[in-house]
Amino acid sequence: MAIGIPRPSPSRVWRRLVRSIPFYMMLFVFLTIILLPIYYIFLTAFAPGDRLFTQPLSYVPQSLELTRFETVFKGLPIPRYMLNTAVLATTSTLLALFFSFLAAYALARLQFPGANLVMVGLLASTMLPGVTTVIPLFQMYQKLGLMNTLTGLLLLYGSGLLPVTTWVLVSFIKQVPPEVEDAARVDGAGFWPLLFGIVLPLIRPGVATMFLINFIAGWNEFFTPLVFARGPSAKVITMALSEAQVIGSSTQFYQSWGNMSAVAILATIPIFILTLIFQRQIVEGITSGVFK
Amino acid sequence: MALAYVLVAPVVIWRLSTVIYPFLSTLYLSFFDNSPVRRTFKFIGFDNYVAMTKDSNVSETLSFTLFFTVTSVTLLVISGLAVAQLLNRRFALRGVARAINLLPWAMAGIVWGVASRWIFDVNYGLVNDLIWRVSGLRPLWLVNVNLARLAVTFADVWKSAPFLAIIFLSGLQGISEELYEAAKIDGADRWRSYWYITLPLLMPLILSMTIFTAIHRILGFEIVYALTQGGPGMSTALMSYTVYLQAFRVLNFGYASAVAIGLFLIVLVAGLFGFRLVRRAWARL
Repeated sequence: MAIGIPRPSPSRVWRRLVRSIPFYMMLFVFLTIILLPIYYIFLTAFAPGDRLFTQPLSYVPQSLELTRFETVFKGLPIPRYMLNTAVLATTSTLLALFFSFLAAYALARLQFPGANLVMVGLLASTMLPGVTTVIPLFQMYQKLGLMNTLTGLLLLYGSGLLPVTTWVLVSFIKQVPPEVEDAARVDGAGFWPLLFGIVLPLIRPGVATMFLINFIAGWNEFFTPLVFARGPSAKVITMALSEAQVIGSSTQFYQSWGNMSAVAILATIPIFILTLIFQRQIVEGITSGVFK
Repeated sequence: MALAYVLVAPVVIWRLSTVIYPFLSTLYLSFFDNSPVRRTFKFIGFDNYVAMTKDSNVSETLSFTLFFTVTSVTLLVISGLAVAQLLNRRFALRGVARAINLLPWAMAGIVWGVASRWIFDVNYGLVNDLIWRVSGLRPLWLVNVNLARLAVTFADVWKSAPFLAIIFLSGLQGISEELYEAAKIDGADRWRSYWYITLPLLMPLILSMTIFTAIHRILGFEIVYALTQGGPGMSTALMSYTVYLQAFRVLNFGYASAVAIGLFLIVLVAGLFGFRLVRRAWARL
């Protein structure tokens, strides 16, 4: 207790509490709007049999069953899809970060003619939406044998990450005082050790946030695999959603919702866990993508 | 110097081969009658573009794109500002609330699209269950044209408002506390200081985000693909979805390319107009 500050009188405490009621009500409404649909998806996936289909809906589960998950795992190559998704999200992110880092260093530190053109060109190329490139890519991929391959998807996933990642890393590298590099150079450090031993560790927070943002984007990809992955060898988890609709007791329209919700949960849980753990870094990544 | 080019080359080549070159090919293709099923490849000048102006699918798509962009962006900006204000206040478990706010953003668009089809289901959907409890009605969300358009809009707002909230929240945190204290001394209440301090200072950011989100609405795909398949009819089709249908269902590569170029021109005009607007707003600050 601080000395000299009078304790607030009980009536003032009350008044403050009453005054914050509208705030807590709004907060409650906000959290409900976000969490209720998510809870509803969980409920659908775990609800037993046809328990789900009642009017009015019962929001308290009678029991939790894993039958939908069994159906989905039996009917679809889920582990394969998950593995593909994880491999694509990870490798595309790492490759994009690696090459963006190289480019960003040149753009931030080395004066060269055309540097501005590259910066503006990268930004302008994000104005070209996926559908304006997809048809020639489709024809190209058929000719080159890149259809239904992870390599083919990797090239497109990674490409989409380059502009923003490069821009963000440029701004991070510019914040590193040049004296640090000068000192290392005086000590006789070569170019590559300087790049990966000095500069990279200094911008590690930036790299980490971009890794998270890009990984989530890669995990959630749908349009690219929809067009370029038509066989199971390269399919990803987001594509299992519509496939789950037509397995098991698919004759009954409403039954398929349970299966789809089960896939929805499988596709979402890893991302939710990442998001909840790295909340701060993700917010940083989102804002640095917009402000830098 | 040579080193700089070596460092930049992979990124530049990667983007050129996967974006710029295919884009130019799409432009080229848009002047051809090209279909893999009919096995045609014939130069037809502007015929695809002329056909586009007469295509009711395209005009319907454009009208929904306009409706969706305007309503969704309006709702997104308003709710984004409201949520940002809510999460800017100090309270116990604020960190948890901010983390929960991120969940819709993190969920895959297609997952949310499929889930919202279930949520808007007439008989067993979450939305109709709540409406029915209050009013005894069960609106036909995905059957009625206007309701389907609203369903797409609402689903989109749920998914994207958190993103705007995060951006606006960081904008709010950049406003000096002293300004509010000075206003308080001058006798301004909370609404007045929001109107005269917060909003003007956030305005450039609000405008930037309006343009940014508007362009993303024009390009929307997943929500429509999963929630309504553009239906009923083509009443909820967005441009990307129409291109996708023309290209990969009808297999009309030439025509689909022309529609894609049309979409690009719309985005280009919106982007250039927005860029000028935003630059002026930041300059005035």
